Amino acid sequence: MTAGAPQAAVEAIGLRKQFGAIQAVDGIDLALSPGRIYGLLGPNGSGKTTLIRLLTGLARASGGEARILGTRMPSRTALASIGYMPQAEAIYPELSVGENLGFFARLEGHADRAAIDRVLDLVELTERKGTPALELSGGMRRRLSLACTLVHEPKVLFLDEPTVGVDPALRVQFWTHFRRLASEGTTILVASHVMDEADRCDELLFVRNGKVIGRGTGSELRARAGTDNLEAAFLVLSGLDPEGNPIEGGAS
Amino acid sequence: MSPSRILAIARRIAQGFRRDERTLGLMFVVPLVVTALLGWVLNDTKDTVVDVVLVNQGGAVGDRIVTALTDAAGKPDSDIAIAATVPTEDDAIAKIRDGTGDIGIVIPANLLEDIQAGNRPTLTIISEGTDPAAEAGRFGTLQAALADISSQLAPPGVTPPVVPKVERKTVYLSPDASQVDVLAPIFLGFFGYFFVFLLTGISFLRERIGGTLERLLATPVTRFEIVTGYSLGFGTFATIQVIVLTLFILNSIQVPAIGPIGAFSIGLGVDSAGSPLLAFAVALLLSLGAVNLGIFLSTFARTELQVIQFIPLVIVPQALLSGILWPIERLPDVLQAIAHVLPLTYAVEGLRAVMLKGADLGSTVVQTDLAVLAGIALFFVVLASGTIKREVA
Repeated sequence: MTAGAPQAAVEAIGLRKQFGAIQAVDGIDLALSPGRIYGLLGPNGSGKTTLIRLLTGLARASGGEARILGTRMPSRTALASIGYMPQAEAIYPELSVGENLGFFARLEGHADRAAIDRVLDLVELTERKGTPALELSGGMRRRLSLACTLVHEPKVLFLDEPTVGVDPALRVQFWTHFRRLASEGTTILVASHVMDEADRCDELLFVRNGKVIGRGTGSELRARAGTDNLEAAFLVLSGLDPEGNPIEGGAS
Repeated sequence: MSPSRILAIARRIAQGFRRDERTLGLMFVVPLVVTALLGWVLNDTKDTVVDVVLVNQGGAVGDRIVTALTDAAGKPDSDIAIAATVPTEDDAIAKIRDGTGDIGIVIPANLLEDIQAGNRPTLTIISEGTDPAAEAGRFGTLQAALADISSQLAPPGVTPPVVPKVERKTVYLSPDASQVDVLAPIFLGFFGYFFVFLLTGISFLRERIGGTLERLLATPVTRFEIVTGYSLGFGTFATIQVIVLTLFILNSIQVPAIGPIGAFSIGLGVDSAGSPLLAFAVALLLSLGAVNLGIFLSTFARTELQVIQFIPLVIVPQALLSGILWPIERLPDVLQAIAHVLPLTYAVEGLRAVMLKGADLGSTVVQTDLAVLAGIALFFVVLASGTIKREVA
């Protein structure tokens, strides 16, 4: 936290995580401002999930530090203001929609019925409140998973591939909602390997081999790479040509 | 029918096996380990010394038996030892109750008359009556000793040697108590442990692989809260299970004949000598340990099948070593040492003490068993908490 400057909601300073010989996260520096949506983009295995786990304190950093709302992670108190939607569904199939929400709301200390009804309405599962999660369709389970993440109105949201398996119409709704949360001051970090969602973010972080290889808005990144699509921009910034082959001499 | 499709299926099974070392281990290594363990137990069963309490009411002739038995006990490698010689049967029972003796032999007052009348005299043999496996061994040892000295019973000049008849008496249950009575405490301990372990293991594994544990850990919940909540949740069901099982074992309802179905009874109707509540407490402590053992071992499994694969590791050795099938004191030393770290050993001992011998909280055996089971449960709580990883200070 620097005096004078607005406090970053999420900060990483030289964050590193090593698994044996593999540097999953290799010295990442970040400062995410409140009320903005950040896209964490990169191929599978580029370190996106590990970075999120480090930021939420679910994994211990091999070096550097992570801060959420100024509190150094890992910190249990800071977790109360974090919402984390893991890549896995992470709901209890044998519990009903309402029971799942009630459970996570109670763990967050936010067990009022109004909060549950509000998120149910948001993900359009009000009519399914009594249905066991087991009987929901894949998309509905994804919506329930998001609702469980939002039920305690977190200030900082980490969403790991939130729209996988979600149909296009619902995806639009998800993003509309993310945007509204951001306008209310929530900081959102969305990890994705789907580039077409990227332009919905305020700022993008390209991650490859545990390093941030590019950051900026979608148009900035495209302009820097001299291409008109993000996928190509990612490849160029990775030091590859648009076909995915190494460029002679290599980009940084 | 396409042989290539059949082969493809067979081949995919083989391919799956190749990547699942655990299942391969289960198929090839575990049976060897269990069989080896079983062989070890059976081959190296120790002959333990039977402590005999003698009651001689037969006067001078009885003294001959006492002397003969004492001589036999004095020989090196003797399997019997004379723990005490007491005046009455009640004294002998007291000695067995307090653990001084394993078996009492009462030499009757009419010994001489019987022999002179040409009848086989009757010796009364008193044992605990709570552990058929242990007692069968002791009984055999004693019979061998009695056969050795039978020649000395005969008055001079009388052949063939007089072999005494044996009448059995037991300190706790009736001598003809059914296996059910004797096994009831074991049912209570074993099933409680087994199912609770299995259910918690699978349930917690699903938390780990389904992502809910990850989500849980991203809330302000503490590891201790998770483990305690699990213990309470599964503990409640374990409690109900133990209550239902206890009721079934201790009670019996007669159902009259209905049409072609003959009359039958529901429940085993075993008489618990001691407090069912105390038996319940022992079983519950055992279950709490099982809940946390399940959480702990779920760390080492990636699929439900792999949790089930822990059964031969967790359940089988306990079934073999905890005094259910063989008395612990007759196990080889190494296995005895293992038996003494197994929770089921203490549960079986405690449940036997309470249900068969009527021990109460004042009994040191019950106190020790409760304390050890509580300690084991606590140990597994700590171990389980340790496996729920979140890097929160």
